[in-house]
Amino acid sequence: MALGTVGTTQISNEVFQANRNIVRNGAMEVHQRGGTITAAAGNYCLDRFQIWDNGDGGFDVSQSTTAPAGFKNSLKVDVTSADTSIASDAYKLLYYRMEGVDAVGLNAGTSDAVTVTISFYVRSNVTGNHSFGIRNDNADRAYFALYNISAADTWERKSITIPFVTTGTWPTTTAGCMSLIFSFASGSDFVVTSNNAWESANKIQAANAVNLFSSASNDWYMTGLQMEIGEVATPFERERYDTTLVKCQRYYYKVEHSYGSIDIGAGLETTTTQARIFVPFPVEMRSHATAVETSSTAGNFDITHNNSVLISNAVPTYSNANRTGASVFFAHASGGTAGQGCTGRLRVAGTYLAWKAEV
Amino acid sequence: MSYSVHLTTIDNEVIYTKDDNTRSCIGVDPEFQAWLRANKDSLPNDIQAKIDAGELTIEDAD
Repeated sequence: MALGTVGTTQISNEVFQANRNIVRNGAMEVHQRGGTITAAAGNYCLDRFQIWDNGDGGFDVSQSTTAPAGFKNSLKVDVTSADTSIASDAYKLLYYRMEGVDAVGLNAGTSDAVTVTISFYVRSNVTGNHSFGIRNDNADRAYFALYNISAADTWERKSITIPFVTTGTWPTTTAGCMSLIFSFASGSDFVVTSNNAWESANKIQAANAVNLFSSASNDWYMTGLQMEIGEVATPFERERYDTTLVKCQRYYYKVEHSYGSIDIGAGLETTTTQARIFVPFPVEMRSHATAVETSSTAGNFDITHNNSVLISNAVPTYSNANRTGASVFFAHASGGTAGQGCTGRLRVAGTYLAWKAEV
Repeated sequence: MSYSVHLTTIDNEVIYTKDDNTRSCIGVDPEFQAWLRANKDSLPNDIQAKIDAGELTIEDAD
């Protein structure tokens, strides 16, 4: 029997409020850079996530297939060397740095500031109270709280509700607005005075949190990260992989060899030894890229012209870029004709070009 | 890890390349600027020459 009227009782929470999750790649499915990323100052790992490391001890981050029911992936933090005596200026962090345009509607820093709820699935062999919080990009407003992992190596869903502060600077432009911060071992310089309260200072960790870096055998997994307006955590908002990928490509775009020698863009030979190839982006990026990243083997790139191939003798280099595409120089030893049209190609597996417009 | 001057484009933009061949950039690139700040006392001659000529500026950190 067909329903006469579809109301809220016929629609599940998961369907009812689409696009409520402000976090991009919360299910940790997109990892364009790939592989295991060693923590350093601001290295990017899974798309939209950044890791910071200062002081003794070290860690790696990777995309894991260890995940709770209903998820395919998680972000894994693997402690590779311990820090049992944390210096006052040390920090070990996982960042989600949010662009201001994603913060429209939060009204942070105004009298209309909303309350948000952040939820996530987490597991670790280290039980006890761990730290999560928000800091604005000016680094002068911070709110940190504890979440408790009660059972070792078991997925648990956590939620933290935060009423946004009515003061401070919270851009709603393409600039950075705030960071969601998981802190694993930060020194006293960066620990808040009081948990569950806004502090007008540069803080990155809740008080009385456990030290994830107590042993090099420790690890920590997280997925299903969601930030939504309201005081309750609704079920994680699922989206298709391709939708998430496009959302992430606003900040990082990697074109890589996937099958055969494939053209990635058309261009013009500028000299006998150089061509300039334009590569369009699939989505407008946050800002114009100022660099191009490449796989490092020159001979894995080439141009085709006049029904022949000129194999590169240097990796492609940056020429220029705007928010919708970029030009790169392809170099070869000889054989080009200035003014002739050509295409740039990736020849073998593992070959890539990538552009970054991270916040 | 180091950078060197690679070429100048028709728009007079200087392109710098990383010595491991994994990236190239223009002077305002944040990662390149961070490297400049960290190595400002021992920069390669070709990059120091750009700074001395006023063609490249080391920006303050955010």
